[in-house]
Amino acid sequence: MSEHRQALEKQFARILGEYGAAISRLAFSYEAVASVREELVQEIALAIWQALAHFRGDCSERTFVYRIAHNRGLSHVGRRRPAHQPLEELEESEQPVDPRPHLEEQVARTDQRAQLMSAIQSLPAIHRQMIVLAFEGLSHAEIAEVMGITENNVAVRLTRVRKALKDALGVRP
Amino acid sequence: MEDRELDSWREQWSSVAEPPAEFQRKVQQRIKRQERRFVLGNLLTVIAFLGMLIFGVFMRHQSIWMGTGWGTGICVLVFVSAAYRIWIMRGTWRPQTQSTRAFVELWHKRVTARIRLLRISMYVSLGWIIFCAVLTAANWATIGQDVGAHPKAWVVLLVVCVLMQYPVIWYGAVWLRRRKLAELNEVRKIMDEMDGKSLP
Repeated sequence: MSEHRQALEKQFARILGEYGAAISRLAFSYEAVASVREELVQEIALAIWQALAHFRGDCSERTFVYRIAHNRGLSHVGRRRPAHQPLEELEESEQPVDPRPHLEEQVARTDQRAQLMSAIQSLPAIHRQMIVLAFEGLSHAEIAEVMGITENNVAVRLTRVRKALKDALGVRP
Repeated sequence: MEDRELDSWREQWSSVAEPPAEFQRKVQQRIKRQERRFVLGNLLTVIAFLGMLIFGVFMRHQSIWMGTGWGTGICVLVFVSAAYRIWIMRGTWRPQTQSTRAFVELWHKRVTARIRLLRISMYVSLGWIIFCAVLTAANWATIGQDVGAHPKAWVVLLVVCVLMQYPVIWYGAVWLRRRKLAELNEVRKIMDEMDGKSLP
């Protein structure tokens, strides 16, 4: 195996380790069904691998990963056909497992989280992307870089998306 | 300034889902599978290319009435297919690494082009049927003798080519076009969202 390939594989493994959880969360916002979501997560990872050899550092690694992940998520939304979703799978999808202890606390958290997830999934795809990037801790400048819009635009739209999210959660101002 | 609401959402969000079990191993397996498929695909293409080329050259030297036409047609088809595959393979610009706006705009262009291509190919296939019918009628003096000599073989050829193959191609193109139109609607919706048309 060539040195270049080895270096790429090392970089890829590091990226998966570093961003694996973020990619899974992001896939959550694009797909509610667990089995399809797992497939989507793998496809995002595959797309990152395919693009990695051409990555020349024009943007930060974080921007690179989020761009690929969201673009792959958007194509998933655009190409999927409404399929029959098994009820058990959907229920399972809406309640992700939290490995932390304290049962009551965990139930309350799971409930809140399920509500947040369902509210995010009810938003239009681009707004989902924007709020998810904000949740992942990206600055306005980084969100603008991922999405290809201006920072001002991000600030204005994020305010509207937050309002839409609050409405979806049923939070009164 | 402290933003408690956002922090609380972030906390709930960040506790969601770890990567699926054996995520890295499964991805590695998919990469290996894809690479094997890529090598196998290229190998099969080369074999098919050479096979078709030999067949085309062989047909060109046959003295039967269709020999030259068939041979030339196959050779041209093989070269066009090979050029198309190379053109696809060298597509190094990966839209997925671009910003969402650039990606969606390119996606829109590609879906529109694909729909246009499908529409054209439907007309071309219709034109091809008419062309074949006209060619057959013009050469009926020669073909008619062959039909008279092997009527069963010609009936089979007619059923396979006209009654089965063309409807399959036609309905396949219609089905694909319908899917692409649905995709185009989705892309347009995403573009509208991108332009901020879906929130108050």
